[in-house]
Amino acid sequence: MMRRRTIKLWWVIATFLSGVAVAMWAEELSLSTQDNRLEFAAPRLHFLVGKPLERLRNAAEVSFAFRITLFSGNQTHKLQETASRFVVSYDLWEEKFSVTKLANPRRTVRNLADTAAEAWCLREMSMDVTGVGAKEPLWARLEIRAEDSKDGGLPFGRGNITDSGISLTSLIDIFNRPPAVTQTHFNVETGPVTLDELRHSR
Amino acid sequence: MYKLLLAGILAVVLPAGCFPLPDEPPEEGGPTNVNARFIVEKVSISGRGSPKLSDPLRTELGQVAGQKFDQTLLDRLADRIKNELHVPDVRMHVTKSDTPDHVIVTFEIGMEREKRFDLDLARFLYHSTQGWSGQGHATININNNAFSFGMVSDGDQLAERYAGIQAGFERRNVGTDRLQLRFDFSSYHEQWNQASLLLAAPDDIYRTRTHFSPMATVLILDPLELSFGVDFARYRLSLPVAKTESSNAVVSTLRYHQRWGSARSDQGEHDIRASYTLRVGTHFLESDPVFSRHQTQARYRFRRGHQEVAVGFLAGSISGQAPLFERFVLGNAETLRGWNKFDLDPLGASHVAHGSIDYVYRGFLVFYDTGAAWDRPDQREQKQSLGLGCKKGGFQLAVAFPVRTGAVNPVFYAGMNF
Repeated sequence: MMRRRTIKLWWVIATFLSGVAVAMWAEELSLSTQDNRLEFAAPRLHFLVGKPLERLRNAAEVSFAFRITLFSGNQTHKLQETASRFVVSYDLWEEKFSVTKLANPRRTVRNLADTAAEAWCLREMSMDVTGVGAKEPLWARLEIRAEDSKDGGLPFGRGNITDSGISLTSLIDIFNRPPAVTQTHFNVETGPVTLDELRHSR
Repeated sequence: MYKLLLAGILAVVLPAGCFPLPDEPPEEGGPTNVNARFIVEKVSISGRGSPKLSDPLRTELGQVAGQKFDQTLLDRLADRIKNELHVPDVRMHVTKSDTPDHVIVTFEIGMEREKRFDLDLARFLYHSTQGWSGQGHATININNNAFSFGMVSDGDQLAERYAGIQAGFERRNVGTDRLQLRFDFSSYHEQWNQASLLLAAPDDIYRTRTHFSPMATVLILDPLELSFGVDFARYRLSLPVAKTESSNAVVSTLRYHQRWGSARSDQGEHDIRASYTLRVGTHFLESDPVFSRHQTQARYRFRRGHQEVAVGFLAGSISGQAPLFERFVLGNAETLRGWNKFDLDPLGASHVAHGSIDYVYRGFLVFYDTGAAWDRPDQREQKQSLGLGCKKGGFQLAVAFPVRTGAVNPVFYAGMNF
């Protein structure tokens, strides 16, 4: 009798844990709110891998272009879009990463582990959602593209760089073109979710 | 049980969602590459082809040691190695050295690239008195063998204008990198200037000529190389009765080319090229004309920053009766610029001496030429010319003036790779 009860409880725990694991796996891009800002995290997405990582470990700097697009309605209406460029390098002696956000002024963080460097880039992509309806269903898409050539460490040519790093129009244009075959790129999406749900899930 | 449940949840959630965030607040400004603060201790080159690297590039690579790590500079140097050695890839490896905050840079040279198909415009020129000249080739490379086919129309280099086809086969490595073989075939139709026709004997002028020339080149001791072979030429004379003659010559050329220093350094870049060519037309090869032709050429070029100075020298003599295409010509786009070759020697000459000096500053060119061409000593008369223009890479555009009393007709020329 006792034996039967124990087995049932293990089944409940196992089912719960698998559910959590599946949910975590499926939700590669997670959203949260902080005041009127929508913040992003993608704990399962690692972009410091493969060829870019190989170049980084060879003391080169690698540029990553980020774009986050927020959709509403039936994922048809583009509500907001933000794009930024990050230059990552790997300290050969400290064996840690350094990330610079090309903005005006530039912001640099040093001595980060790979996952922390990736997380910092995403935190810097937060969006102001003032005016967005609390019950409006939202979808978010994150796109990341790594440099693909030695074009001065830039995937977009130096002509587009301004004092604040790179012009937003040029950066958006990058994502309007399909990535090159050899270019490392990532796309993740999430939704639908409302701001109310996000505020209550905190 | 609840503890177990909590532990399970934490085991899944923690690694997936919580990452250490930077302890320090973000800095503003500074270099984007954190390695820019390290000093390059040593630069080394590995892989096939590294011995072929030119001295100026070696000097520049050596200058990187002791400097701070500069990714852009190193990428540029990797590209230069790639272009100089024609290799598909040059990989750069950066590692920690034994000294703190120092790194070692190694350029690893990939396998030599063989460009399967290549098109090149070997020469392109407009000369205000001689018109257009051009020469282009298509080359197919298969396993170290190069097959080329080209077309040419040249009214500048010789007393005649020749136009026709050129074909060649080259084996760049015959058992060893030091030995090359080459077979050239060419077939031309000739056009003559009225001044040449008036002076020439009837059996001097030919309408067509074909050449077949097998040559071998041996690298004796880098940078000294020797080419030797034969040139079998047949030409059809412009006589009322069609007659074909042969001019078969033994050819040997000794060449020297040395380059050192760097244009960016205080010492500048030095480049010396010199050659001596002997062509002997002999009955042994069943040649109709019997002659020996000696030609010596040398050119020294010095570059520093935006300045360039080049000094050139040419001397030659022919003994015996050589066909007109062997004779020396002055007054074209390379010698006595500003003079018209048909005013000087419409049929060319059997002796020549020429010197030139060119100075270029930021692409602005000035030059001075002097020389003489003669058949008999009493005909020897030194001529001079001056000119100015612009020169960038292989492109040159200039106006040249003959130095003489009386009317001065400037000559204009523009072109590439001449």
